[in-house]
Amino acid sequence: MNKRPNILFINTDQHSWDALSAYGNPYLHTPNIDLLHRNGTSFKKSYCTDPVCAAARSSWATGLYTSETGVPFNGGQLHTKIPDIGQILRAGGYRVFHCGKWHVPGRNVRESFEVLYYGGHDIGAGGAAYYDSASTHAVADFLMNYDGNEPFYLQIGYVDPHDVCEYLHNHEEKRIPNPVEQGILTEDELPPLPENFDYDERETVLHRVCRRVDDALIHARILKAVRDWDELQWRYFRWNYYRFIEKVDAEIGRVLSMLRQTSFYDNTLILFSADHGEACGSHQMFQKFSLYEENVRVPFIMACLGENVSVKKDQFDETHFVSGVDVFPTICDYAGIDPPEDVQGVSLRPLAEGEDVAWQEYAYIESNYWGRAIVTDQYKYVTEYKPKTVEDFVPPGPDSEQLGLAQLFDKHNDPWETENLVNAPEYQEIIKTCRERLFAQESQLNRQQIIHRSPKRIISNWRKRLREHWEHGKIK
Amino acid sequence: MDDSNPLHWSFDYNHGAQNPDFAQILIKLLDEPEVKSAADSVSVDTEDFKKHVYQILPNFWRGYKRRDNQEGVLSIGTVIVERQKRNDDIWNYNVQYQNTTSGEDLRFQFHCQNECYRPLYGSWRVDAQNSCNDRYSTLKWDGRLTSDAEILICINGTEITAGTANNSLPLTCNWALFDVIPALAERLKELGDNVDIALLDDLEQLRPKNKLGFLDSVHSPIPLDGYYLYGTGVLPSYWWVDANGNIIIVSSTFETLVLKEKMGDTS
Repeated sequence: MNKRPNILFINTDQHSWDALSAYGNPYLHTPNIDLLHRNGTSFKKSYCTDPVCAAARSSWATGLYTSETGVPFNGGQLHTKIPDIGQILRAGGYRVFHCGKWHVPGRNVRESFEVLYYGGHDIGAGGAAYYDSASTHAVADFLMNYDGNEPFYLQIGYVDPHDVCEYLHNHEEKRIPNPVEQGILTEDELPPLPENFDYDERETVLHRVCRRVDDALIHARILKAVRDWDELQWRYFRWNYYRFIEKVDAEIGRVLSMLRQTSFYDNTLILFSADHGEACGSHQMFQKFSLYEENVRVPFIMACLGENVSVKKDQFDETHFVSGVDVFPTICDYAGIDPPEDVQGVSLRPLAEGEDVAWQEYAYIESNYWGRAIVTDQYKYVTEYKPKTVEDFVPPGPDSEQLGLAQLFDKHNDPWETENLVNAPEYQEIIKTCRERLFAQESQLNRQQIIHRSPKRIISNWRKRLREHWEHGKIK
Repeated sequence: MDDSNPLHWSFDYNHGAQNPDFAQILIKLLDEPEVKSAADSVSVDTEDFKKHVYQILPNFWRGYKRRDNQEGVLSIGTVIVERQKRNDDIWNYNVQYQNTTSGEDLRFQFHCQNECYRPLYGSWRVDAQNSCNDRYSTLKWDGRLTSDAEILICINGTEITAGTANNSLPLTCNWALFDVIPALAERLKELGDNVDIALLDDLEQLRPKNKLGFLDSVHSPIPLDGYYLYGTGVLPSYWWVDANGNIIIVSSTFETLVLKEKMGDTS
């Protein structure tokens, strides 16, 4: 019998931390992810590395931050010399399998993994309606038939609730009546508006140019559509988001039911997380890309349905910060394989085993190439770098001269991030400390120049628009 | 926002970078003689054999077009819903769902009682094939409902539970809705009722509580009555029925099924 555990990494897409019934959300029902929560350790302070699919996934695959991977936004390309988790585990004696969404541009998933299922048309960003059920079938086929001598690592990339993106696209050029108007749902059946629907407009320039202005760099057509929404339409958007999550929860339930019937269940570590969250109406936003909590905080659960993997059960860790970069070293730790030396994350195994260990006191997050955030127990500091005068395509930082605008939130007193305290005199020491942490973190990164033409073009286009705003004062 | 489009919002996907043009293709499909003749066939209640063939149109084309896409072809697959009534008043269903974007070809065989809710009867079988050249190539599962309403699925000799149905609600398969909705149409539309129904989605996933109700009527491109299906764990779908009880359009988040042809006993 293998002493090293099998490892199953189940991930969802665009799944905010609080969108689980296990964490008290009464507007959806997720019995299967809740089951993982009860059978393992889940983390309250769990953050993605970057709130967009490809970027966050490049961190899962490498244990590095997105300014290091070459994928600091959708459309980046993973640097070829960086090893991925499939390559490392395979070299360490594991059979490595992939199923479903990968979305790490620049790395052929078929070269690093044995692929169970990757779609008739290779799975890109979305399409859960086409792919998720088939992914479960592929996993069923695998679990019922795997007879290898080696332990396996299987990563299952479910696409939902990412399909909520298409729900939004559907509103771009037509008016869809709200369901109360149609007589389909009653108002009582819709979740309320989020507490932070109204927001502080003093945001970073990056944030505003990307998501707020009329010709926003990202999804301007959806932005135009939602400006016409009434309250019930916002609430119906939230209702739909929760249905997408219930749908993927059911897929996960089928995988867990099958695993339970196999000989693997007792010796399989299960990791569950999501690449990033969904704004879902918070700050009157939709989708991802922002550094608000709804976008950057994601579920992270380590579990075992049996007893042979060392994971403390029914443990809810409200103290320690965990990040998407920690997935890689955690898997390596359980697999008994040394991760590459330059991996930024740390193994979460001591926490999952209930050990009392010294731990990093903040989370570090990047966004849209120029955006940065430091999250501490009480504060969140969000800032940005101004585009360089001459762009060298090396992700920026640490550079105090180039910092742009900032946002500071007191999470204890303002958990919904509705009041930017950055200009309040009494918080200047806090801001200074956050900046020091930011620069200290960034000084440890091996930021590499973006070399591929396509991501360089994206940076150039965005940079041009951002510089217009900085140089011509379009945003004060 | 373009309000000039004649299509109902629930199946109007003629926007964004759609090329080929979704609306024009859908309208053209509805104008085919086979679809028109379906509307001329006799009432659903008198038929013992029916076969409806649907094209699958992707609601969002960019990123989901099939690998071997031909210029101007929007369809990404086919659904065939075939059912025949046996002498013992049980309906045998044979359904094929073939989708080139997912790469899956699913064959569903199941039985239903001859009631308007088409309750599942006996055992069922699903054959899945994947054409993607990945490790997953085939999967078969059998299923049955126990006397305690537990749903058991058997894959490769291993039995797993898919949940327990609520005995107070009729349980049917989503593919039987092609008959359930026309059968309930009058009650839903004329009487304004909503009905609750449990679904075994693709004969593997229990959706314990769903609501069916009347949505709207349209006169263009052809006269149709629309019905909605909402529920826990279910994304809304909209089912459009012609005057003779044929489902003509089914629209859900990602795909729209449009009737291509109907075959069957019209005696």
